[in-house]
Amino acid sequence: MEIRLKWLLNVVVILFCLLFYSNTYAGEDFPQSSESFRHEGFSQQNKIDDIKVGSDYSPGDEEGIYVIPDPFEPINRGFYIFNDKLYFWVLKPVSTGYKKVVPESIRVNVRNFFYNLCMPIRAVNCLLQGKIDGFGIEIGRFFVNTTAGMMGLGDPAKKVFSGPKYDEDFGQTLAFYGLDFGFFIMWPVLGPSSLRDTIGLAGDMFLDPVNYYVKDLTNETAVNLIVRSYDRVNSTSLVLGEYESLKRSALDPYAAVRDAYVQYRQSKIRE
Amino acid sequence: MTLRKYEYHGILFLLLFVICSVNPSNATAGEPTEEIRHTTDRIIAVVSDPALKSPENASERKKLIREAVDERFDWEEMSRRTLARNWVGRTDDEKKEFIDLFGKLLERTYLEKVEDYSGEKVSYIDEKIDGDYAIVKVNILTKNDREIPVFYRLKSKNDKWFVYDILIEGVSLINNYRSQFNSIITRSSYQGLIKKLRDSVEEK
Repeated sequence: MEIRLKWLLNVVVILFCLLFYSNTYAGEDFPQSSESFRHEGFSQQNKIDDIKVGSDYSPGDEEGIYVIPDPFEPINRGFYIFNDKLYFWVLKPVSTGYKKVVPESIRVNVRNFFYNLCMPIRAVNCLLQGKIDGFGIEIGRFFVNTTAGMMGLGDPAKKVFSGPKYDEDFGQTLAFYGLDFGFFIMWPVLGPSSLRDTIGLAGDMFLDPVNYYVKDLTNETAVNLIVRSYDRVNSTSLVLGEYESLKRSALDPYAAVRDAYVQYRQSKIRE
Repeated sequence: MTLRKYEYHGILFLLLFVICSVNPSNATAGEPTEEIRHTTDRIIAVVSDPALKSPENASERKKLIREAVDERFDWEEMSRRTLARNWVGRTDDEKKEFIDLFGKLLERTYLEKVEDYSGEKVSYIDEKIDGDYAIVKVNILTKNDREIPVFYRLKSKNDKWFVYDILIEGVSLINNYRSQFNSIITRSSYQGLIKKLRDSVEEK
């Protein structure tokens, strides 16, 4: 019974692919009219309507500029230096070596695999925020990418679902229900976060499939750590140079990272 | 339910396709987008010109990019918005000095970004105009298949559109510098900021 259901779902999904592949593809080159843009959701991330035309600032008026409280700034700055060293002394050399050995296409596959795996986090948080469309799209993307995308290594779902990805997490769900950042936290190893997003991270651990896959293994913690470190090295290998350029263009790298984190999270929450 | 939605989209796409192929010169894209496109094309032409790739032409290459950028970016507007409340009460000389230094820093940052250009695809997604202000949305597709949404904020001056802010993945460049500068000024002083700015610009 269950197997039949799975088959049925597969068939539906594949039909879905065939039916809409050509249409969405034909449209990709014509994102011209702003009216159609709003309907289609061409963007992966924030729509133009989320951004205010004009400015959120004119001299003398600084409302709308959010500054995150940072009561533990001296400690946070200490951890920032630690993370910076960790990057340059460990993460970067390892990722650079890994990059030399593994071709880019495979590294992209690995990134896709981990992204696909974490579908439950995104889907459940869509539900918690009442984003039924997002929930459907996340489930749909998962089925397409797990089947047609070979266990999530590829991303054929991109061609099926032209709408935005719903990269939701529990931190965003808490924000949806009105919880503010609280204050800024720079975690050693994990990097920039806030009180709210740290609670969010802890909540998402319950939905993280990795934790369930390793559950009955003898060296549970060790395997878990290895898997996560590998994910980190792989994703770092794809963005090498970005942190360096941020640091070079910044006059106060800590403040730059803190603000970038806040703005990035705010834009995710606006979506 | 989603099926219906996508069916509808399919039809819309087809319609758009027909309209666009009938009229390739496309009148729907407006002015700010055209100006951004013009500057971007100009820069891409420079960075992908094989004749300019050799090290002895590096300065010529830089000069050409700088010209294209200078024409489109409003350094003064950017400085004013970045310094925010610290802009008020600065003397004209201080303002001039700041615009010069900050402009150089931004230019360098931008130059380094475009120097890395390796065939990323730029697509013009949308624009919105409200009086003297406009936003242009652009998507950059990197080689490893990552889509980066970029927003240009523009202000019109003498019938021309000038960029005064860039948002990359939701992070506004100007807001980011503002919070850095505020942090530096609170921790030291305005003079301290100028010193840091000068050191950074003169580093290379």
